[in-house]
Amino acid sequence: MEMQKKSFFMVPYLAWIALFVVAPMALILYQSLFDITGHFTFSNYTSYLESTTYLKMTFNSIWYAFLITFFTLLISYPTAYLLNRLKNKRLWLLLIILPTWINLLLKTYAFIGLFSQNGSVNDFLRFVGAGSHQILFTDFSFIFVASYIEIPFMILPIFNSLDEINPSLINASRDLGASAWQTFKRVIVPLTMPGVKSGFQAVFIPSLSLFMITRLIGGNRVITLGTAIEEHFLVTQNWGMGSTIGVILIIAMFVVMFLTRERKSKGGQSR
Amino acid sequence: MKAKFKLSNLYLVFVFIVIYLPIAYLIFYSFNTGATMDKFTGFSMKHYTTLLSDTRMISIVLNTVVIALLSSLLATLIGTLGALWINQLKRRSAKNAVLSVNNVLMVSPDVIIGASFLIFFSFLGFKLGFTSVLLSHIAFSIPIVVLMVLPKINEMPRTMIDAAYDLGASKWQALSRVILPTITPGIFAGYFMAFTYSLDDFAVTFFVTGNGFSTLSIEIYSRARQGVDLEVNALSTLMFLVSLLLVVGYYVLERYGHSRRVNRNKMMKGPNAQ
Amino acid sequence: MANPIIEFKNISKKYDDTPVLKKIDFEIESGKFYTLLGPSGSGKTTILRMIAGFEDPTSGEILFEGKRIDLTPANKRPINTIFQDYALFPHLNVSQNIAFGLELKKMSKTDIQAKVAESLRMVQLSGYENREIDALSGGQKQRIAIARAIANEPKVLLLDEPLSALDHKLRKEMQVELRALQQRLGITFIFVTHDQEEALALSDQIFVMNDGRILQSGTPVDIYDEPINHFVADFIGESNIVPGTMTADYLVHFDHKDFECVDAGMRPNEPVEIVIRPEDLDITSADKGKMQVTVDSQLFRGVDYQITGHDADDHEWTINSIHQTTVGAQVGLVFDPEDIHIMRFGEDEETFDARLDSYEE
Repeated sequence: MEMQKKSFFMVPYLAWIALFVVAPMALILYQSLFDITGHFTFSNYTSYLESTTYLKMTFNSIWYAFLITFFTLLISYPTAYLLNRLKNKRLWLLLIILPTWINLLLKTYAFIGLFSQNGSVNDFLRFVGAGSHQILFTDFSFIFVASYIEIPFMILPIFNSLDEINPSLINASRDLGASAWQTFKRVIVPLTMPGVKSGFQAVFIPSLSLFMITRLIGGNRVITLGTAIEEHFLVTQNWGMGSTIGVILIIAMFVVMFLTRERKSKGGQSR
Repeated sequence: MKAKFKLSNLYLVFVFIVIYLPIAYLIFYSFNTGATMDKFTGFSMKHYTTLLSDTRMISIVLNTVVIALLSSLLATLIGTLGALWINQLKRRSAKNAVLSVNNVLMVSPDVIIGASFLIFFSFLGFKLGFTSVLLSHIAFSIPIVVLMVLPKINEMPRTMIDAAYDLGASKWQALSRVILPTITPGIFAGYFMAFTYSLDDFAVTFFVTGNGFSTLSIEIYSRARQGVDLEVNALSTLMFLVSLLLVVGYYVLERYGHSRRVNRNKMMKGPNAQ
Repeated sequence: MANPIIEFKNISKKYDDTPVLKKIDFEIESGKFYTLLGPSGSGKTTILRMIAGFEDPTSGEILFEGKRIDLTPANKRPINTIFQDYALFPHLNVSQNIAFGLELKKMSKTDIQAKVAESLRMVQLSGYENREIDALSGGQKQRIAIARAIANEPKVLLLDEPLSALDHKLRKEMQVELRALQQRLGITFIFVTHDQEEALALSDQIFVMNDGRILQSGTPVDIYDEPINHFVADFIGESNIVPGTMTADYLVHFDHKDFECVDAGMRPNEPVEIVIRPEDLDITSADKGKMQVTVDSQLFRGVDYQITGHDADDHEWTINSIHQTTVGAQVGLVFDPEDIHIMRFGEDEETFDARLDSYEE
């Protein structure tokens, strides 16, 4: 009853949805149907599908994103698990998250120094007698830096899902005869799957599209979908092809989100 | 058991070192007398003096702060109104649909947001520069504000709003005297997130900034592409301190507000509890 | 009824297509303590929320002092509510909470102060003005919620299961206080509860509700002694309900015998249900009893024993007795004719009242 009067307070929000969510997404689809001379065509899509370079680049990009996500998860799960057992866990978590507030560019920039020919990492390698190596502008450096940047975004959701587990569930599992390892495998891991899935989303999708790390650390050797889009829009000015790759990226994003969605119907929660 | 405990702590220490090492490294070399991040030749503040006399850099810092302040303010306003509107939608399906649309920009890769905004602005014949950057920052900050504010509205018991009407409040009075004060923590959190989003953004700005206008992220990127420049290290030290101050300030504010309540609660309940 | 303060006329309410209230009609007199009693989902809270103005009826009219009120928004009604979760504003302290409605009415500062102090005195929390809401116990929050509502001097006070969050002892205390408060203020209280004991203890009038309908209304004694049907008999207090037939007026047949009773006005041999309250049954030896049961269980409850047994037809009987018996023993039951209450199948409140009038003068 109290809402019967027409209200206009949602107008700015609706305008935002129309102008900055719907319109840009529609425009990128629209733009993908024009070639570089401004003619309506499907040629962007056909050339994408026929070109081995584009397909290989897409495959590589997905492979890199997968590797980044995998290594991030490998580091993050134990970290989140151990953090969750600490006394002042909230404070420690904050310390893990703190670097995300430091500009992404600066963190990437630090690795230019660390990984350079005479940088500290090479100093260390020489010191232990492993000799110096070309680290910067390799696949390794790209995956390492990308993982470094994404780790907090993986730790956070896993930590939260661990934090939500009712301690009596662990006790119940032990009480029913499960060993610590069995409890971990049969109780903790399944209960933290939602956290792992959202961490996967939070890491995999940006990893597909990172372009400034590929430029600064990958040294143009590593080309991802993101790099290709940036290249087409800002360097070669072929917006049609750039948009086409953008549409591919959006499709990839939806596939990932679909595969990692929360399956709510199973539990039968009605809220 | 004891050995295992130590091993796990060692692992955490290792993770923390890896996470903080690059930052410490940057800060350390900002005090180098030399010009590289290779050899520390002696302590000096000269990169800081260069930075402070670099008027181009200072105007870029100002640009960045102005964009962040303005965009987060407007995004908070629009996002809070949006959250209030979403909350009063009657049908669950409608609510979910709006929330999905709301989250499109949250999950979209920055490159997509940047490219699609670029098409959008050029489609309208909009000149790239301050305004296009500001609008883009507002646009990508709105969904996070909604996501921070909406749970606070949902947490608020429905009866609280009923109680306000019951005691004679008009719609506006219920909003200003009950709803807004109750969801203020969510609004502040949203503002803070929007502010840091804006400060941090590189990719979207990179697409919509054009030639004349630059923010810190863009500037760092173009300098980093040309190699190591210790002025950037000096800048990063200062930015690190500012972020640290922001986060700690926010954390303390939140903790203080929380613990004050809890403590008082304990204090008052003490004698009557048993 | 002279001048009812609230009238419901043919009120129905549907959520989507699910009916929650079905053609409700009732009148409420000024200055009495009313209780809407029913299980959850019976529609009692919906009625309360309609009176407060939080819900609109799908059809029908609500009158307040003879004038339509269902189109008036909640903030314009001289009615205040005490919510189940108290709904105290956490960002305001005790006196700011109580002053909330008064400030909106643009009352002067000094008047507000006096009113806040008076309201706090009413709920025996004088001196609590500057406390924070978070620092109050459950019982104190309850009192502040009452103080906040009565500070506005409503003509009707609505109470939505306000005691349900309190522990047993505190609830008993608050029941006494609420009753006293209502008598002191002299305003109409409408109280919603699913606790029949609470309803019996507090009310001048009870409306028993189930499934969107008012099944029976009356004083607590009427409803306890003469429940209209199986649901009411079962819901209010403990009851033994067994099937039987009306042999003639004042004579009912069950357990293979005819028993004298005080009900009349039914068709000969009409099938009916017989209600006897457990406290009206006394245990004696098998041969002295009007009927015989075999004892199945016995629970000691402090004030008495609750004994259950079964008769020859396997109907269950519950007896509250201060004397102990033996499980497995056959015992006799004695009761007076007036302890038997007869219920017809499908009789509504109107015909029930008419039938009672026909033979009770």
